[in-house]
Order: sequence, then structure tokens, then C-alpha cells
Amino acid sequence: MNGPVVFDAHTLPANDNVHAYAFSVDLDGQWFLQKGKMIAYFGDIRFDGIGHGPLDHLVARSFHSPLHAADWVVAQGRGKLLLADRAFDVNSFDLDQGNLTIRSGNLLAFEESLSLKQSIIPGFVTLIGTGKFVAASNGEVHFVEPPIRVDPQALVGWADCPSPCHHYDHGYLRGFLGGLRAMTGVGGASGEEHQFEFTGAGTVLLQSSETVMPEQPVGGTPAGGGTPGGGPGASGGLGGLGGLARWAERSG
Amino acid sequence: MAQFRLQDGKVLAVDLTGDAVRAKNGSMIAYEGDMTFKKLTGGGDGLRGMVTRRLTGEQLEVMEVKGHGTCYFADAAGDVSLVTLQQDTLHVEASNLLCTAGGLRTGTTFTGLRGASQGNGLFTTTVEGTGQAALTSQGPAIVLRVTPQTPLRVDPGAYLAHSGRLRQEFQSGVTFRTLLGDGSGEAFQIRFEGEGLVYVQPSERETLGGQV
Repeated sequence: MNGPVVFDAHTLPANDNVHAYAFSVDLDGQWFLQKGKMIAYFGDIRFDGIGHGPLDHLVARSFHSPLHAADWVVAQGRGKLLLADRAFDVNSFDLDQGNLTIRSGNLLAFEESLSLKQSIIPGFVTLIGTGKFVAASNGEVHFVEPPIRVDPQALVGWADCPSPCHHYDHGYLRGFLGGLRAMTGVGGASGEEHQFEFTGAGTVLLQSSETVMPEQPVGGTPAGGGTPGGGPGASGGLGGLGGLARWAERSG
Repeated sequence: MAQFRLQDGKVLAVDLTGDAVRAKNGSMIAYEGDMTFKKLTGGGDGLRGMVTRRLTGEQLEVMEVKGHGTCYFADAAGDVSLVTLQQDTLHVEASNLLCTAGGLRTGTTFTGLRGASQGNGLFTTTVEGTGQAALTSQGPAIVLRVTPQTPLRVDPGAYLAHSGRLRQEFQSGVTFRTLLGDGSGEAFQIRFEGEGLVYVQPSERETLGGQV
């Protein structure tokens, strides 16, 4: 008889994976969670939206992204909390006086000792400080070191290295026919003309598939001179790569 | 007596020696030996059950598999969990029930508001008796033991099944903040109290209350 393992409130792992697809948080205090990622819990835990009044102090210290506030909640209390996301692989990571930038949809939860800020790359958030966070990926996470060019959809995040830049293979645009192709889109493209390029020292996190979490359009960054993705009409670019990529898609 | 075993995490193998099991319609992927497959109308609960299922909308499309040999079942690459019942009742969502041994009775019960929040209707399927059953889920199921000292709360979208002497209670934390779009995302929960096992999956079905 190969029945599954039975967990109770005491035998559930403390801040560790239950299996590859679920993570158990031993909650004693406060954690930030992305909405809807809790699947079950033991104990006495309450969930409040970021806008909940008594949380003002905590939010002021640890949550600096009005853009994502609608997607996040604070869990507080004591107990064991199970997190999972669409049967994707779930892993926890520890940051020690570090910084890590991650696609906003991949981040499931983080300890309140970390502080979340919006990355200047649209659709990504940065965690700064010391503490634990939980992230989901479709397939296992692979750690690679720059210099590297990665497919935008396979990118989960990066730590301790400078933000990436867009890289375009424009070889296919050469000559008269290439120009025609770029102008009209006739002739097609391999779909791999555009990458993110990383240089410098650090770690890049990749997932082994190209399925990304759906981004929720939740408004734009503040309209101000020099703010990437800011300004009027920029709200649609959240999960995307900015106007340049849209131009490339049109021409590709 | 039908023997259930996991071929790997996603395929159920059932060894049959002339007896029968009931499986989700169309879930057979291969078999060795001689098998016959017969569609059972109305979930195989008999005439009264058939009418109940039609009325409650807890549709259970099942077939009876009978023969000698080994039959393999799978459903949409879902992960399979085995449940052994000993004069016990398993409550399960019809869509998550893959296969039940011939000796088990299936039926329908009223669950109250929980079903409504799941978009699965107000009713759930029960499996009673002694024997083995197999569940299918999106991601490997996690089995949680509930004791009187440690009640459990489960997100309706992640709930698969439960057994034992459990009371379930639907909790709603909908406040004016939910309506403003500043809800907790976990406004709907099922609370289990008593003594028993609860099966959850590491993913959430699309539910009516899932986003609030």
C-alpha cells in the first residue's frame, strides 16, 4: 500500500517544502503573500489587504509598490500556512543583506524583514534586505552567471547584478529583403530575435519553460520625467518589454 | 478484489481478477488482459441516484470496467492519490474522482455554501464502504490530519476531498474592503473541525470567489 504521507499541524515542515509544489510557512508574526496563493492553514491566522489601516506601519517599512498593492495581502498570526501556485515548482530562497529582482507574478510570499520595491524594469519587483522569500517557477529554477543572454519568457529574476538590457539580433534585417521583412513582417521570424542581456557579476535565475504568470494590469507607474514605463498610456506595458519590443513584434 | 497501485505519480494501475471497478468515463489509457467497458448512466448510483445527480448537477460520468488483467487509468496528466476506506465515507468533488473499487457505493450529498463558492454546485459526491478509491488532482495531493485541537482552514479552490468525522463550515470574510477591491484574496474558506483527513491540491481551480 503506497498511500500518501499524512501531515498534521505538528508534522508539517517549518519553513520548508512539503513537496516540490507546495511550501509550508511556520508563521509567527507577519508575512506578505500574493493573493490567492494560500491553499490551507492550521492555527490562528488572519489575512488583510495592504490598505488595512493597522498595517500602515508595516507597509510603510516593507512594501513600496502602490502598483502591486492590490495583489498582496498580509498574513498575521500563528500557525502553519501552505502556499502553492497552479502546481508550479515552489522554492524558498534566503537573502542576506542582498537584493533580488523577480518577475512580480513569480513571487508568492516574503518575510516582513525584507522590503519590496518596484523594479525600474516594468513587471518586475526587487526585494532588498535579509530574510526568506518563496517563489514559483514553471519547471525547476536554474542558476546561471553572466555574461548571458536569456529568453524573456524563461527569465525568473536576477540577484546582485546590474539590470539587463534588451538585445536584438538584427542580422535578419540586412539588405533589401531584410528591410522589406522588417517593414512588412512578411517572411516571418524565428521568435528568438530578442533577448535580455546580462553582464557583470551576479546570478540569473531561469525557469525551464517559457510559461509566464499572467500579469495583471494594475495601473501605471507615476507619470514623471525619466520614469521608465511612466507617463500617460504606459499602463499596458507592464508584462511586456516596452515599446521597442512591441515594435519588434510588429515587424517580426 | 481489485488491487489499486500507482504506476507512477500520474497513472493508476488496477489489477482485476474478474471483478469490477468504476472509473471516470474515458480515463482508460491502456490495459492488459480482457476488459469490458460499460458506460453507467447517472453515475452508477441506480435510478434514484440518477435522478438526484440530474437534479443536483453533480454530474459523474462513469464507466464500469470488468475483466481479468491490469487496466491503466489517467486523466489529463493529473496526479493520482490512493485512498483506502474502511467502513468510512469519503466526500470528494466529482471532477476529482478517478476510480472506485466495485464494493464502494457512490452518492450525492448537500454541502451548503461551499459548493457555491467553488462553482461546482451545491452538492458533492460521497464514496462509502470498504475498498480503495483513486483521486486525481492538479499537482500531487497533500493529506492533512485534522484533530479536535487543530482545526484546518482550506481554500475552496484547493479542496479535493475529506474523510472521517469532520464538520465543515463555510466561512466568508467579505467586508466592504472586498467590494473596494482591497480584499484579502482569501475571503472564502472552508473550516474543518473534528477528526479526519483532508486532501488538498497545490493549485486552485477557477472559482467564483477566488479573486476576492
